[in-house]
Amino acid sequence: MRYAFLVAWREYAENVKTKGFWIGIFIFPLLILISFSAGGWLEKTKPVRYYVLVDQSGKLEAPIEAALERLQQRKVFEAFGKYVQANARHEQGRTALDLEKVPAIDPEKFMAQFADDNPEQVERFIKEGGLDAALAQARGLLRPDAPEFSAPRRAFQRAPLPDGVAADLAPAELAEALKPYLRHEREVLVDGQPAELFAAVIVPADVSERVVRPGTVVLPGSEQAGVQYWSSNLADEDLKDEVERACDEEIRRGEYVARGVDAASVREVQRTHVPFAALDPKKEAGEEAVSMADVIRQWAPMGFVYLLWVGIFTIAQMLLNNTIEEKSNRIIEVLLSSVTPGELMMGKLIGIAAVGLTMIGAWIGSLLGILQLKAGPEAEFASELLSVLRSSGLLPSFFVYFVLGYLLYAGAFLAIGSLCNTLKEAQNMMGPIMVIMIVPLFTMAFIPKDPNGTLATVLSWIPPYTPFVMMNRAAADPPMFERVGTLVLLLATTIFVLWLSGRIFRLGILRTGQPPKFMELLRWVKSA
Amino acid sequence: MHVLELERVTKLYGDFKAVDDVSFAVQEGSITGFLGPNGAGKTTTLRMILGILKPSAGRISVFGAPSALEVRTRIGYLPEEKGLYKKMKTWAIVAYFATLKGLDRHSAKRRALELLERYGLKDFAEKRTEALSKGMGQKVQVLAAIAHDPELVILDEPFSGLDPVNQQVLEEIVRDLAKRGRTVVFSTHVMQHAERMCDRILLIARGKKLLDGTVAEALRTIPRRLVIESDDDVASLRALPDVLAVQPAAGNGTGRWELRLRESSDPQVVLQHCFARGIRLRRFDHADPTLHEVFVNLVGPDAREASFR
Repeated sequence: MRYAFLVAWREYAENVKTKGFWIGIFIFPLLILISFSAGGWLEKTKPVRYYVLVDQSGKLEAPIEAALERLQQRKVFEAFGKYVQANARHEQGRTALDLEKVPAIDPEKFMAQFADDNPEQVERFIKEGGLDAALAQARGLLRPDAPEFSAPRRAFQRAPLPDGVAADLAPAELAEALKPYLRHEREVLVDGQPAELFAAVIVPADVSERVVRPGTVVLPGSEQAGVQYWSSNLADEDLKDEVERACDEEIRRGEYVARGVDAASVREVQRTHVPFAALDPKKEAGEEAVSMADVIRQWAPMGFVYLLWVGIFTIAQMLLNNTIEEKSNRIIEVLLSSVTPGELMMGKLIGIAAVGLTMIGAWIGSLLGILQLKAGPEAEFASELLSVLRSSGLLPSFFVYFVLGYLLYAGAFLAIGSLCNTLKEAQNMMGPIMVIMIVPLFTMAFIPKDPNGTLATVLSWIPPYTPFVMMNRAAADPPMFERVGTLVLLLATTIFVLWLSGRIFRLGILRTGQPPKFMELLRWVKSA
Repeated sequence: MHVLELERVTKLYGDFKAVDDVSFAVQEGSITGFLGPNGAGKTTTLRMILGILKPSAGRISVFGAPSALEVRTRIGYLPEEKGLYKKMKTWAIVAYFATLKGLDRHSAKRRALELLERYGLKDFAEKRTEALSKGMGQKVQVLAAIAHDPELVILDEPFSGLDPVNQQVLEEIVRDLAKRGRTVVFSTHVMQHAERMCDRILLIARGKKLLDGTVAEALRTIPRRLVIESDDDVASLRALPDVLAVQPAAGNGTGRWELRLRESSDPQVVLQHCFARGIRLRRFDHADPTLHEVFVNLVGPDAREASFR
């Protein structure tokens, strides 16, 4: 055993010194940090999109412009809400608040206005004077050292028609004339500056006659007779969606008027709703409501399955690589004059497991750390996730499944490593294992939807999948019988695989030349 | 006392007999040369001695133990194909192998640095082994094999790949070990090394032991050769009791003859005979046989065949 630990110590010390290990350690928290801030960052770096709008009917231009303005106001509203929350005085609502400066405002209420971005609040925000008014109101609430608020940039900006393109051309000709601009072969001029044209919206003069009503027969190709939206970027659909919604709304408004229906009442009717709650029967009375924490609890295991998969694969691969290094460098012979193959194998398993646990530990530690930092009133998600991780049994079961899953796959990888002289040979033999290992990645997303269903149950009883699938189901409290049963089966299989690969390892490790055929392997296992 | 004993050891790979019924014993404090052509079974025998391979039949005893692994801390081994962990520092790899042989981490490090300094590798101690040349790497491995001061050192082809200066260094290392009462077994096909250094020679070919004895005994296995040149009749030499054969030698046109003498006979007898009979000699060449000749004589045809198999 002493020798196995010596081997393990070397494996650990040498692997921890490699660049790859440190990159692995840091890449994960970096990815989390990026994904936390990427949304905002992407939004900020997205260039201003220029569009031209030609409304030959004269009916839709104003509604479209108004809708885009509303979109912008909503962004301002959201950003302002975050700004106020981040910079409010901590003693809000207490004596520290200078009531003289903000006589008419209840700070709690004021803050609450920005807590949610439902359309009515945005509507009121615009009606009450927009950003300027809100800034004036908020001034007394903010910390003295609060930075200036900078409103988000306008995402979509209207550009004038380029010179030489007349607004009264037929829609088809107009589109033809704009195409070079849309393909970015030419640039439009905005305030004297050349700019890329992102999209063109063309509304034909007879748009009202093109309205499709229930019962209208829609001929193929007739969609083009209505509003046309041209753009060579089909991935960014924000503008398209907003324009389409605005057009539909305006057309519908016209319909109400034509049919003598009061449009204002329709709008009010549309905003009525009945209270609706999603409830969980497993919870105590009074706590049945499905909260964000429950949703997170449902889906967090998926993250762990992924982590488990990446972790197991990374370090089993590490094990394979350095077994092959020892073999191809012929270090193995000196080793085997000092330790038995069994000790060598055990040492490698333990050493690499320690490397893996260090890496995974650093990952989980940094995840908790980042969540801790981010957690707070403005990051409900982070704080809920943090409390879910702390309270549930996710982390302990992750640890157990990680160790067992690792030993199972590592055993197989070690046996392969001992048979091959080069990484290339190993990759050929890895094929079948890769096919087996890829399955949990596919099922990962389906299992939380039916965590105790047939697919999940069946996969749980297949030992190579047990760690991943049971981890996946962790939130759904699978029956105790399944939890213990699959664990015992996994343990037994792991022991068997390690025993088997021990025999292969002993014979394969000194072998040179072609990897053996399968039948030859069987003979080895029997004879060893 | 015998440090190492092999008794009728055989190793089969399928139907192929890599080692065939080999027995020998190694005396404590001796240097034994293990000779044989390529593919003779030297490495297989050494691996069996170390317990890396199990013999198909026969008995091996190392320090009285049936498996070398039981006494591994007393053995040092340099395998034929030499490799090091590329990313490890030179001192660390020497120390690592020493800890695997029972030294504690601290003394292993001290010992590694000490050896590297003594054998001119001090500047490389902190470098990764990938920075070493092939010969230096081999020296490092020899040091790794002896870092724990083993009682029995087994070196498989230690001289191959070393330049003459470092071959000299290695010879000194081996002699030092023997001087301190350590036992050394090494395989080689450079006969000069074996001849210079070995107390005993063990020659195997095609898995079979052909010769086992001291260098002098080995040399005695081939007859002495004497080359003379004379225009006179040399037939009378055949009558001498020490002369086994008189044959025309290559380039006989000028009267060159090759005489084969009984082992341990004195060539002076031939010279005196020639004086007495008035045979005038233009040339009288006699060379002591070398281990090289012994080797070629015993395994020549085999080795040739093996290399073209």
